[in-house]
Amino acid sequence: MSENLEQSFVQQLRENQNIIHKICRLYTSDEDAHKDLFQEITIQLWKAFPKFRGDAKFSTWAYRVALNTAITLYRKSTRSISTVEYEKHSFFISQEEYNSEEEEQLKLMYQAVYQLNDIEKALIFMYLEDKDYTEIAETLGISEVNARVKMNRIKGKLKKILNP
Amino acid sequence: MMEELDLLKKDWKKNENSFQQISEVDIYKMLHKKSSSIVKWILIISILEFIILRGLDFWVLLDDEYKNKMNLVHMYSFEVILTVINYIVLIAFIYVFYKNFKNINTASSTKKLMNDILNTRKIVKYYVWYNLLLVAITSVIALISEVKYNPMLSNFYVKHQLALYVLSLGIMLVLFLIFWIFYRLIYGILLRKLYKNYNELKKIDL
Repeated sequence: MSENLEQSFVQQLRENQNIIHKICRLYTSDEDAHKDLFQEITIQLWKAFPKFRGDAKFSTWAYRVALNTAITLYRKSTRSISTVEYEKHSFFISQEEYNSEEEEQLKLMYQAVYQLNDIEKALIFMYLEDKDYTEIAETLGISEVNARVKMNRIKGKLKKILNP
Repeated sequence: MMEELDLLKKDWKKNENSFQQISEVDIYKMLHKKSSSIVKWILIISILEFIILRGLDFWVLLDDEYKNKMNLVHMYSFEVILTVINYIVLIAFIYVFYKNFKNINTASSTKKLMNDILNTRKIVKYYVWYNLLLVAITSVIALISEVKYNPMLSNFYVKHQLALYVLSLGIMLVLFLIFWIFYRLIYGILLRKLYKNYNELKKIDL
């Protein structure tokens, strides 16, 4: 039984691992920290797995646990990333499709996102993931209206960082 | 701004599958590694606090010299009764702590999860305060009764009653201060990030 459980978990996690990678990329600044957080999230998911009933999708459930681990349970600081560290971090900016102006803009955007706090990052993350405000509000435990308001403020904040 | 965010989203989505994939074998390995989550640390520290506070009690009560001294000043039976009450309270605290701890669910909303963690920690904090208060009260009672009933010191009691009360108060304050600093330290190290994010979340809903 427990072996089956483990097997099923490992398989589903492998299929959905990009969710965790994306969160790690947003909340950590280098490869070691990325691996560290990935491992902690995996452990937390595994610990919570017996309670996962399967009435939600594995991915939806994993989003929550992973984000909660990054924001709440993970002890190491996930902030204060300098530009230098950012440059070292292999953040994805693909070469082909963008013109150099867009590329520069993207780089600045990513840097700006890195300067947000943990909660703001969570909102931006879910926005990038096309989550609707109902889900964003539910995941964080805030009201939908206030989630919208906060999202608008974050957009304003990003704008300010980009155009000081 | 919307343009820039759209650009960001486009890039985010395009690179969704660019991560180096972790194999099932490696995931298996990770399952058996130790967690370093704050919940685990809170549990460890809480258990330590329960043990250390009880240990102190045993150590003091079973000490023969202390026993004789207390008998002399008519306090020993008082101490024993207090210890019994103490254990009932301890069991109650542990029960509430355990219930709260079990409530912590990483699949809750972020705010609820944070709330549950902080509540669990609060139980231990109350427990420590309860113990501190008890220690303070009993030590003051012991001090005063020692001075009052000890024939060698009773003269002192009559003469310097006020000084004695001031001294007792001073001891109590120093004790509280030490524990308070100790607690700030634990909270500071362990919960700083959690508190910051929790307040950030609360601010959104104001």
